[in-house]
Amino acid sequence: MSYGSTIKVPFGPQHPALKEPEYFLFEVDGDIVVKVTPRIGYVHRGVEKAFEQETYLHNLYLAERICGICSHAHTTCYTQTVEGLIPLEVPPRAVYIRLIMAELERLHSHSLWVGIAAHEAGFDTLFMYLWRDREMIMDLMEEISGNRVTHAINTIGGVRRDITNEQANKIKKFMDRFEGNVKEYMKVLETEQTFLKRTKGVGILKPRDAISLCAVGPTLRASGIKSDVRADDPYLAYGEIPFNVITHDGCDVYARTIVRCEEMIESANIIRYALDHLPEGKIRVPPPRTIAPNESVGRVEAPRGELIHYARSNGTAKPERYKVRAPTLGNLASVCQTLIGAHVADIPMILAGIDPCFSCMDRMTITVKKA
Amino acid sequence: MVLYEIVGVFIYPGMAFLFGLAFLYEWIDRKFFARVQNRIGPLYTGRSGILQPVADFIKLLSKEDIVPASCERPVFSAIPIVYATLPLIALFVIPITGSALIAFEGDVIFLMFVSALITLTVFLAGWSSAGSFSRIGGIRSALQMLSYEIPFGLALIGPAISAHSLSLTKIAQWQAANSSWFLWLQPIGFAVVLISLLAELELVPFDIPEAETEIVAGWLTEYGGRRLALFRLGKDLELVVASTLVASLYLGGAQPLFFIPPVVILILKSIIVLLLISFVRAIFARFRIDQMTSGMWTYLLPLMIVQILLVQFGIGG
Repeated sequence: MSYGSTIKVPFGPQHPALKEPEYFLFEVDGDIVVKVTPRIGYVHRGVEKAFEQETYLHNLYLAERICGICSHAHTTCYTQTVEGLIPLEVPPRAVYIRLIMAELERLHSHSLWVGIAAHEAGFDTLFMYLWRDREMIMDLMEEISGNRVTHAINTIGGVRRDITNEQANKIKKFMDRFEGNVKEYMKVLETEQTFLKRTKGVGILKPRDAISLCAVGPTLRASGIKSDVRADDPYLAYGEIPFNVITHDGCDVYARTIVRCEEMIESANIIRYALDHLPEGKIRVPPPRTIAPNESVGRVEAPRGELIHYARSNGTAKPERYKVRAPTLGNLASVCQTLIGAHVADIPMILAGIDPCFSCMDRMTITVKKA
Repeated sequence: MVLYEIVGVFIYPGMAFLFGLAFLYEWIDRKFFARVQNRIGPLYTGRSGILQPVADFIKLLSKEDIVPASCERPVFSAIPIVYATLPLIALFVIPITGSALIAFEGDVIFLMFVSALITLTVFLAGWSSAGSFSRIGGIRSALQMLSYEIPFGLALIGPAISAHSLSLTKIAQWQAANSSWFLWLQPIGFAVVLISLLAELELVPFDIPEAETEIVAGWLTEYGGRRLALFRLGKDLELVVASTLVASLYLGGAQPLFFIPPVVILILKSIIVLLLISFVRAIFARFRIDQMTSGMWTYLLPLMIVQILLVQFGIGG
């Protein structure tokens, strides 16, 4: 067009590439992005303030609804944080059931993501196949907990429902089938030339930048850095279960896809091991109503990365301060960095590459008062 | 005589017949695409969903049409009508019943001209809509035309050289007379014409101008209601043009088989081409615009030049 002038392309708050509302203003020179200005806060719901208004048990259901896809991760982190405040020891069978649900949730979240990545690339057929398999996982979760999302299986002091033997056998049988399907889809993803052209070399995040920009989760592991809360700071029963931390050296969107696919296979193995070694015993212990003044931090590996909850109690039945840091907030700085220099067609691939969950993320909004 | 012409233009093999064919082809495309993806596709309107394209068209006609305030109003309003009419003009030249409504020496060139006009219409649609997404979509579509236009033209010329005629009707009749189709006489040309048609129809892997996940709906973004209905009708008619063109040029055209009338044979052949196009649509991801232009100039054009050279040396009819 003209020399040196740029077009401003707004992405959002409503855009087919973003499943949740955020605003990105791209300045595009021809087909290359030269500047990104994000603006977050569109899904700010005042969750942290709401936490301070209700009792610990009531807040459990609030924590679950911070996000739909990683709801179990939020309740696991919440119960872990509050049990650290009390402090309270959870029976081993409850720990294992929490772990199995967490890995099932990782499976459903990752298969959702790979489907979305295929859809952003225009590969609708793989999107449909993956979501068909994801439906079977949702059916499993519904059988165990009664819900497809927001399972409400955690409670402070344990879990609310047990896994029967026939449910365990059903899950194991499905894991074999699902693992076979994922291996086939990986074969397609590794050899399909059109998909490779859209993802290889796109959104490069060098390892040094990944660490300095605080990337977390599969985004960090796809740059070759072995960092996983399940291995570094074992919570639940991850210290007793052998598993591999998946990394890949590609640093691009293709590496992130491969990391998530292999994590799905790894999760299937973890679930099988946990079901075989499920300890007997009760599934919950009653927690106290008021909690003495204390501070506690809980970290879990949500499907998107490291999730941190912080709680402070003051002797009453309601928390004094509760803070949630979602993994997408950590990845936001790195995504703004990787977007510069990309083609316009790569923008949805790179944005989807961090597996954005903006409803988890929004804790702060900026109001500009015009004079 | 005049009544015969009027019935020919408006009913059969003219507009009513072609609109019916357009809706039928859209249904076949959607159903096949859905089955490849392990879905069902249209199901409830009519037997097995066959009236779904008609229902969509009627529904769109009744919707509110919002016009952006800063668009160029006359161009914006006229473009959908032009876009729906141009494929119809192209269809009048293609020998669907064995002989076209309008046949003259040079209709291959006329067809290339009409397809270039269609892409120009798409560019104007994006440009006049005055939104950044539409503008980008229009620019991408013009860029796409720069890439596929020459291989497409050469792929149409290959059979014309062998048949010593620039008339589509005569090329189809040449294949019938020599009982050999250009499908196996000039296979490279067949492959190239299919790929270029995918680019012209803006289907995956070349649906870059209206990439849904990148630029909302590209050049179609600001259109709604009646104007969108006309665009969709134009797209379906383009599907008919593409499949009947390949069937006439490369698959032998409308030849009678025993007692089956030639028009049925042509429709069957073009449905095979349509299924091929739908299948390719289902199994690939979308290219980026720079990958597409470089790929077309690096691979498609040299292949087509090789094919024309082969024809000149007598191999291929």
